[in-house]
Amino acid sequence: MSLLEAFVYGAVIALISGTVLPLLYRSKNARKASFGLSLISSILLLAFAGTVLYTGKEPAFPAFRFLPGLDFTLAADRLSAGFILLIAAVVPGVSIYSVEYVEHGKSEAGKDLQATLTNLFILAMLMVVLAGNMVGFLVFWEIMSLSSLLLVLHDCSSEENKKAGFFYFVMTSLSTAFLFMGFISLFRLTGSAEFGQLDYPASILTLPFLCLFTGFGIKAGIVPFHKWLPYAHPAAPSSISALMSGVMLKVAIYGFLRFLLSVSVPELWWGMLILIGGSLSAVLGVIYALKESDIKRLLAYSSIENIGIVLIGIGLYLIFKVEGLEALSHLSLIGACFHAFNHALFKSLLFLCAGSVVHATGTRNIEAYGGLVKRMPHTAVLFLIGSVSIAALPPTNGFVSELILFQAFFDSSALPNPLLKVLLITTLSVFALTSALAAALFVKLFGITFLALPRTKSATEATEVSKLMLFGEAVPAVLCILSGLFSSRILGLLGFDLEIPDMLLIGLILAGACGLVWFAVRTSGTSKSPRISTETWGCGILAQHPTMEYTSAGFSEPLVMIFKKIYRTEISSTRVYADTKESIFKSGTARIHLIKFFEERLYLPAAYAVSFISSQVSRMQNGRLDTYVLYVFIAVLTLMTFTRYFA
Amino acid sequence: MNASFLLFTLLNTGFVLLVSPLFMSLIKKVKAYAQGRKGPSLLQGYFDLHKLMQKEVVYSPNSSEIMRITPYLNLAVLLLATLFVPIVFIPDAPEGIGNIIVFLYLLAIERFFTALCGLDAGSTFGGMGSSRLMSLSAVIEPTMIIAFAALAYVLKTVNFHEMFAITAGSTIPESPTLTLISISLFIIIIVETGRLPVDNPATHLELTMINEAMILEQSGKNLALIELAHAVKQTILMAVLINILAPLGLATELTFTGLVVSCLYFLIKASLLAGVIGLFESSLAKMRLFRLPGFYMMAFFFSALTILMEVFA
Repeated sequence: MSLLEAFVYGAVIALISGTVLPLLYRSKNARKASFGLSLISSILLLAFAGTVLYTGKEPAFPAFRFLPGLDFTLAADRLSAGFILLIAAVVPGVSIYSVEYVEHGKSEAGKDLQATLTNLFILAMLMVVLAGNMVGFLVFWEIMSLSSLLLVLHDCSSEENKKAGFFYFVMTSLSTAFLFMGFISLFRLTGSAEFGQLDYPASILTLPFLCLFTGFGIKAGIVPFHKWLPYAHPAAPSSISALMSGVMLKVAIYGFLRFLLSVSVPELWWGMLILIGGSLSAVLGVIYALKESDIKRLLAYSSIENIGIVLIGIGLYLIFKVEGLEALSHLSLIGACFHAFNHALFKSLLFLCAGSVVHATGTRNIEAYGGLVKRMPHTAVLFLIGSVSIAALPPTNGFVSELILFQAFFDSSALPNPLLKVLLITTLSVFALTSALAAALFVKLFGITFLALPRTKSATEATEVSKLMLFGEAVPAVLCILSGLFSSRILGLLGFDLEIPDMLLIGLILAGACGLVWFAVRTSGTSKSPRISTETWGCGILAQHPTMEYTSAGFSEPLVMIFKKIYRTEISSTRVYADTKESIFKSGTARIHLIKFFEERLYLPAAYAVSFISSQVSRMQNGRLDTYVLYVFIAVLTLMTFTRYFA
Repeated sequence: MNASFLLFTLLNTGFVLLVSPLFMSLIKKVKAYAQGRKGPSLLQGYFDLHKLMQKEVVYSPNSSEIMRITPYLNLAVLLLATLFVPIVFIPDAPEGIGNIIVFLYLLAIERFFTALCGLDAGSTFGGMGSSRLMSLSAVIEPTMIIAFAALAYVLKTVNFHEMFAITAGSTIPESPTLTLISISLFIIIIVETGRLPVDNPATHLELTMINEAMILEQSGKNLALIELAHAVKQTILMAVLINILAPLGLATELTFTGLVVSCLYFLIKASLLAGVIGLFESSLAKMRLFRLPGFYMMAFFFSALTILMEVFA
C-alpha cells in the first residue's frame, strides 16, 4: 500500500469515525470531534487529489467482494481526482462552520444526528466519485440521496418542510430509477459492471444516454426537473445546502461526464440536446431567481443557472468532439469542469453566509433585511466576495470559467457546419444574457440584504456571528480569490496549457491603478477638505425612513416586466352586473396569479396519472386468498401460452 | 512586461485621461447648438472636474464603505480598460491584455459597483437607477457579446490589439460587414454612456433617469472621479468604433511621428464622432423604459446579421 492509497483509506476511516462518534458519545465534544474528523479527511483528500492530478499516477485499490459476482472496486483517474479536489475544497469551510452552526439546533438528538449525517453524506459523495464500477456507484448514490434526504427533513415540524422532504424523495427516487435503467442497459451491452471504454456505435447507446441524461439531470437540477432544488434547499440547514448545492449537484455532473467520456463516438444530437438543455436551465434558473425573495430559494435557483452553464460547456465539448475540433473540445471540457469547481466554492460560501444572515435575523425573507453591512460587517465582506465571483467579475474564479466558455464560443467560426454555427450563436446570446442577469441578481441580493437602512426590527437587532463561523466562511472566500488570480497557473500546473488571459496580471494592474488613483487624489493638494456626514437627500423629507428604500420586488420589477411572458402571470377577473344588458357594474373579483408552469403543467399531471393508475391497480387487491390464487393461475396460463406460441 | 508596453501604459492612459472631458463638453456643445443655444465652453469639463476636486465629500450616515470605495475602483477599472484599446500606438502587450471578453467584464465591474452605490444610501432614486441600470444592461448584454463575437468572426481574433493591427493602415473598413457591426457598436456607445434615447444625461431628478439617479448621493472628489471614469468609458468605446470603422492613422509601431499622427487623427475622428453623437441625441426624444429592449434588438439584429453573412458567405 503506497502513500496514495493510504490518503484515501485515512480519509474514509476519518469520515466513518466522524459518522459513528456523535452517535456513541452524545455530547458537544463528540460533535466537535466529528467535524474535526471531516476536516482531517478533506486535507487527506486534498493531498490525494492533488497528487493524482499533478502526476497522473492512478492508485491501485484491491477489489472488495460483497457477494459472488458482485465486486466492489475503487478507482481514481484524473476525472475523479478533479471532483475529489472539489469535495476537498468545499468540506473544510463547511465543517469549520458547522461546529458552531449545528449548536443552534433545537434538540440534542437532532444536533447529534446532523453531525452524523453530515459525515455520512460527505463519505457517500466521496465513495460515489471513487466507485470503480456501477454497483458501488449505485449503492453509494442511494446512501448519498438518503442521507441528504434525512438532512432536508431535520426539522420536520413544519408542513412546508415535510412537503419539501417528500418532493425531494420522489425526485431523487426517480433519478435513481433512471440511473438503474441506464446502467442495466449498459450492462446488457457490455456484460460488465465496470466503467470501461464504450466502443459501440452511438445509435446503440441512445437508450443508456437518454436514461442517464434524465437520471443525472434530475439530480443536477436541469430544467424541467429542477423543482426539488428550491424546495429542498430552504428546508435543509445552511451547511447542508452548501454541501448539496456545492458538491452533490457536481457528483451528478461527474457521473454524467464519466459516461460521456467513456463513449468513443458520441452523436452530434447528444451535444446539441445538452447544449440546449443547459442554456434553458441557465437562463430560466436566473430569471426565476430574480423574482424570488427567499434568500435560500434564490440561491437554489442560481444553482440551477450555474449547472446550466456547466452543461453548456459539456454540450460544446461533445459538439466540438464530433466535429473533430480537438483543441476546442478540450477547452470547453476544462471550462465546464472549472466552472463546476468554482460554483462549488462560491455557492458554498454564499449558502454559509446566508445561513449566518438567517440565524442573525430569524427570517429568510430578504425584504425584511437591510443595513446588515453595519451590523455584520465581516459577513458582508465575505458575501460580497461570493457575489462578485458568481457575477463573474474579473479577476475572480467565476469570471475565468465563463471566460473559457466564451472563448470556446468565439472560436466556433472553425466549425464547418453553418447550421451548427447558428445554434452556437443563439446559445451564446442566451449565455450572455444569463451572465448579465446573474450580475443584476446579485446586485439585488447584496444591495437589499446588506445596504441602506434595516427594514425590520429583527434586522436592526442583528449581530455578527461567531468568529469560528466567519472563519468557516472565509475558507471558500479566500479560495475563490486565489483560484481566480492563479487560474492560468493552476490549470497549467495540472497540465492544461490554455491561452487565457493571466488574471494575476489583471489583478495586479487593477490593484496598482486603485492605489494610483487614491494616491493622486490624496496628493492633489485638496486633502484638507473635511468629510461631512449628512442625511440622504429625499426631496426635502428630513428623516429618512426604511419604507422609502427600494425593495427586492421593486428592484426586479423592470426585468419581470420585460420577461413577463416567461413568468406567466395569469390575471383573471369576474364581474357581476346589476342589469341584464351588462352595462352597470355591481361587483367583481380580480386576481393575479403566478403560474408555476412546471408544477402545474408537468409535475401535477404526471402525479395525477400515477395516482390514477395505482388506484386502478389497487382495485385488484381485495385481500382474499382465492382471488390471488386466481391471479397466479392466470399468470401461469398466460406465460405458458406465450412461451408455447410466441417465444 | 517590456519597455514598449510600459511606455504605452503611460502614453495611452495619459492621453485618454487628458482628452476625455473634452469630448463630453463637445457633445454638450453640439447639442446646445442644435437647440439654438450657445452652450458651455469646450474646457468646461476640465473646470468642473477641477472645481469638484476642491470640494469636500458629503456622505449619508446610512451609507457604507461601498460608497467610499466605488469612485476609486471605477476609475481604476477604466484605467485598466484603456490598456485594452490602443489609441496612440499598438504595443507588444503581454498575453491577455486586449482580450475583448475581459474588456466587457471590466465594464461590468464598473456597472456592478455603481449599482450597489445606488442602493447604498437608501434613497429611492438610487434604487430606481440601479434597478433600471442592471435590467437594461442585462438586456443589452447579448447584443454586446454578439457584436464582439461578430468582430471576432470577421477578424479571426479575440484581442483588440490584434484586431486593430489588422485594420490599421486601411482607410476603409477591412470587410464590408464591419460597417454593419459599426451600427451595433454605435448603439452600444449610446447605451453604455447613458445617452438619449436610453437615458438623459442632462436631467436631474426626473423619473426617467438612470445614471444620474445612482450618483445622486456622490459629491466632491468622489463625484469628480465618477464623472472622469464616465468620460474615460465614453472615449474608449468611441475608440473601439473608430479603430474598426475608420482605422486610418493608427500607428502600429512606436515612433515619434507615428505617435503624433495617431493622436491628431484620433482627435479629429473622435471629434467628428462626438458631433454625430450630439446630433443623434438632439434628434431623438427619450424612449419609454419598456420600449428600449426593442431598440436594443436593432443592434442585436445588425450584429447577428454580420455573423450570419460571415457564416453563409
